[in-house]
Amino acid sequence: MSEAANLAYLGEQPYYLPLGDEVAVFQAAYEARLPVLLKGPTGCGKTRFVEHMAWRIFRGDDGGDASGAGIDIPLTTISCHEDLTATDMVGRFLLKGDETLWSDGPLTRAVRTGGLCYLDEIVEARKDTTVLIHSLTDHRRLLPVEKTGELVSAHPDFLLVISYNPGYQSVLKDLKPSTRQRFVSLTFDYPDPEREATIIAHESNVEPALAERLAVIGQKVRNLREHGFEEGVSTRLLIYTGQLVGKGIPARRAAEIAIVNAVSDDLTVQQAIADIVDAILP
Amino acid sequence: MIELAEVESRLALFAEGIAGRYYHIKPSSEYSSRRLIVDAASAAMTSDTLLLPDALDAEAPAYRVLALEQLAVAQFGSLDFTIAEARRRIPDLRRLAEPDLGVRVSDFELFYQHVEHPAVLSRLFAMCERGRLKAHIRHHYPGIKRHQDAYHERLLADMAAADLNSVPGVVQCLNFLLLGADLPELEKHPLGGALRDAFTSSATVGASVYDTAAASLACYALCEPFIVVHDAELALPDELELDEPAHWLQREARLEDWQEDLKEIDGMIMSVEMLDADNVAAADTDNLADGELRPDDLDLRALENERDTMKRRMDMERSAIRDATGKPRPEARSYRYDEWDYLGHRYLAKWCRLFEERLEPEDGADLNSLKQVIINHRAGVQQQLENIKPLGFQRVFRVADGDELDFNAVIQARQDIRAGISPDERVYSRRERVHRDVCASFLVDLSASTDDPIDEPEPDPTPTAADDGTVPNLRDPYDDDPYAIDHNLADAKRRRIIDVQREAMLVMSAALEQLGDSYGIYGFSGYGRDCVEFFVAKEPEQAFTQATLASIASMKPKRSTRMGPAIRHAVGKLLRSGNALKVLMILSDGFPQDSDYGPERGEHEYGLQDTAKALAEAHDKGVETFCVTVDRSGHDYLKRMCPDARYMVIEEIEDLPEALTKVYEALTA
Repeated sequence: MSEAANLAYLGEQPYYLPLGDEVAVFQAAYEARLPVLLKGPTGCGKTRFVEHMAWRIFRGDDGGDASGAGIDIPLTTISCHEDLTATDMVGRFLLKGDETLWSDGPLTRAVRTGGLCYLDEIVEARKDTTVLIHSLTDHRRLLPVEKTGELVSAHPDFLLVISYNPGYQSVLKDLKPSTRQRFVSLTFDYPDPEREATIIAHESNVEPALAERLAVIGQKVRNLREHGFEEGVSTRLLIYTGQLVGKGIPARRAAEIAIVNAVSDDLTVQQAIADIVDAILP
Repeated sequence: MIELAEVESRLALFAEGIAGRYYHIKPSSEYSSRRLIVDAASAAMTSDTLLLPDALDAEAPAYRVLALEQLAVAQFGSLDFTIAEARRRIPDLRRLAEPDLGVRVSDFELFYQHVEHPAVLSRLFAMCERGRLKAHIRHHYPGIKRHQDAYHERLLADMAAADLNSVPGVVQCLNFLLLGADLPELEKHPLGGALRDAFTSSATVGASVYDTAAASLACYALCEPFIVVHDAELALPDELELDEPAHWLQREARLEDWQEDLKEIDGMIMSVEMLDADNVAAADTDNLADGELRPDDLDLRALENERDTMKRRMDMERSAIRDATGKPRPEARSYRYDEWDYLGHRYLAKWCRLFEERLEPEDGADLNSLKQVIINHRAGVQQQLENIKPLGFQRVFRVADGDELDFNAVIQARQDIRAGISPDERVYSRRERVHRDVCASFLVDLSASTDDPIDEPEPDPTPTAADDGTVPNLRDPYDDDPYAIDHNLADAKRRRIIDVQREAMLVMSAALEQLGDSYGIYGFSGYGRDCVEFFVAKEPEQAFTQATLASIASMKPKRSTRMGPAIRHAVGKLLRSGNALKVLMILSDGFPQDSDYGPERGEHEYGLQDTAKALAEAHDKGVETFCVTVDRSGHDYLKRMCPDARYMVIEEIEDLPEALTKVYEALTA
C-alpha cells in the first residue's frame, strides 16, 4: 500500500501524543455526532490529531456504536484555499466523450459513505463553502446538491471536522458566528518543550538530547512570532530539522534549512533566529 | 571592531527570543539618570533596556555574549534574592547582626550592610554571581560557549596580573577565574586554594543566588585581614550616592511581591466585611458601650491601615525607581533611523531613535460623539468614493476549473472534437472577487501646536518660562506629562486642530472600511533625536473595532514634529505590507521642527530638507506620498518639501475630512 493510500485508509495508527483531554472530548463528540472545530497555529498537530482519531474510531477499538464496519475511507481531508468553491467540494458536471456526467466532490462522497471529513483551514475557502456545511452540522445532517437537485442524507458514521487558525486575524472575522456556533471547539497550541521534545524524538528518531535542544529552539523562536511570522516555528519544522540531522546533515545546517529560512524572509529576523539557534545548539 | 548600531536591531530580536519579552538596546554611554551611572565600557540592564558598550574590539557574537550575560540576571534567579531567605539559608549570615535600614533599600544592599565594609562584599558578590550566571548560560546555551571563550580571551589579554595581598587584587583574581584563566600562582598563595574553592562553590549550574551570597561571604572572610578602608579603587557607586542597576531591578521585582501582599490584605478585608454583613443581626444584640468598637471592627481597621501603609510604600518605591532609572517604555519598541544632514550633504547614520507604541484608549472618552462624526460625513464621503469602489464579484469565463460550465466554451469544444481538433479544456466559468491591492498609511502630526484653536493666530511654539515663574526643563519642556496641554480645563470646550484631525481619521476609516482597502493610522511626535515617538492607532492587518475608535479618540497634542524618522518608519511598514499600491498621507499643521532638528533651534531648513529627503526616499521605494496641511502658509515650504507638488493646503480646516477623501480617491483610483 502506498503512503498516500496508507494515510487515507489508515492502515497503521498515526502517532499522536495527547496534550490534555482532547482524545476523550473528540471521542464523546463523535459518539454524539457533534461537529468539531479545531483551533490552533500551523503545524501544532491538528491534522495528525484528526488522523489519529479517525484511526481510533474506525480502525481501533474506540469505535463505540460505529465500530468502523464498512467504512472504506475513514478520513477525507480537504485542504481549503482561497480559490476553493462549493463546487469543488460538492461536485461538478464533467464532459466525458459525448456525455456530461455528474461527479461527486470529496465532501459529497464522504457524506454518502461515512467517516470523518476534515476541512483544513476552513476560513481560507470562499464564503459560499461555509454556508454549504450549515445543514450538515445541525440535526438535519443533510447536504443539498443544488445542481442535481439532490438532498443527500449523511451516513450514520459521518462527522464533519473543521480547523482554522486564529493567528490570521484578518480572516478570523470570516468565520461567522453562525458557522462557528455549529461546532464544539477544541483549542490546540504548541506543546510545552518537554512534550515537544518527546514528539520530535519519536517522529525524527534523533537523540533525546538533540530533540530537547530543538524544542527549546522552538520555544525561543516563538517569542518572535510578532515579527512577520505570526505562527512561530511549528513542531512540524522542528521534526523536519531532526529528520535532516538523521540523514547526516549537521544540526546547525539542518536548522538553517528547516527553521531559519522557512519561517521568515526578513533578513534581520533570519539572522536573529540563526543567532538563537547558534546559542542553543551545542 | 564592531559597533552596536550595526547589530542593534538583530540583537534586539535575539534578546526578545531568548527572554520572551522586548528589551530596548541602547549604548551604555546614552544612559543617564539622576541616581544611576553606567560605565560606557560596560554592560547593564534596566527594567526595559539592555545597555551595551558603543563599540567592542571583538567579533559580532561578543554582543550576544554580553546580552546573554545581562538577560541571565533575570532568567536565572539573581533578582529573586531576598534578605529573609538569605538569612534563613546561610548560617554565617545569621551569625551577623541584621542591619536596620528600613524598606527603602534593595535586599542586596541589606545583605552587604551585614559586614563592616559593604563595598567590598558588594564587589565580591558581583564577581561570584557572574561566575554562577556563566555556568547557567553555558549549560542552557551551549552554543554561546565558543563565542564567550573567544571574548573572554580578548579581555584576559588586556588584564594586569593580580596581587592577592589587597582587596582589588582579590577581585582581580576572581575576575581571572571568571574569565577562565589558568592561574598557577594562585595555588602557590596561602589564600589561593580557599579563594578558588569559594568561587567555584557557586559557579555551578545547581547553585542559586544564595550560594553566591554564601561564597561571597567566604571570600570576604578571606580578604578581611587586608581590607584598607576608603580604598579609592573600591569606591562603589553607592558610596558616591549612586546605585547599581541590579539594586533597582531587585527593588522592582520586590514590588511584585508587595503587590501580592496587597492583594492578600484586600482579600482579608473583603472576608471580614462579608463576615460582618452576615453578623449584622448579632451585632445589634451586642452590649457595647458608646463608641466602643467590636473586635471585628478592630481587625478591619487594622487591616485597612496596613493596606494604606502598603499602598503608600509602593507608591513611594515606584516613584524612587522611576526617579533612579528613568521613565520605562516597556510597551514600546525602539528603532534607529538615519537622518539627512543637508549642510554636510551626508546621512547621519542611525542618528534618531524612534519609539513605537500603541495609542492606549483612555477611560471615559466620549466615543458616541465620534461615532456621530462618522454618521454626519458618511453620505458625502460615500459619494466621493463611489468612483473607486470595486465591482465586487465578476464571472470569469473559459477557465480550467469553476463552478459552472461555460456553454460557449463547451460548444466550441464539441465543434473542435467533431472537426478532429484537440479541444480546449477550459470549459468552465467561475466568480472571482475583484480586489483593490492598496495599503494606505495615515501619519498624523501630534505636535503641541495641534492644540491650537481653529482660526486663531498660531502661538510661538518655542517653550518659554512659565507664568508662575518656574523654569521649564530645557532638555524637554514637555517633560513627563505629555497630556498636560490637554488638561487645560479653560480650553476644554474650544475646537482645536487635533479635534479636526481626529475626525478626519475617523471619517477616512469608515470610508476605507467600506472600500475594503487595508490602512494604518499612526500619530507621531517626540522630543529630540533620541526620542521620536510613533503611535499606532491601527495597523493595516487589524480590523476597525471599538478599540480602534478609542485609540483614535486618544490622539492628543504632545511634543515636537520630527517628520523624517516618522516618515521612514511608516514607509518601512508600508513596504512590508506587500501591497501593489502603497500610499502614505501625512496630516500636519506646520513645518517640521524639533529641539535638535538642525544646528539651531528655530531654524527650519534642516528639518525641511530631511523631511524632503525622507519623502524622496519613499518615492524611490514606490510609495506614493501626499502631505495635507492646515497651515495656511504651507505653500512656501511644502512646494520645496514634497515631490511633484504632492501636497494640499486646507484653507478651511473643517473641510479636512472631505478634502482627504478627495486626495485619497485621486491617489488610488
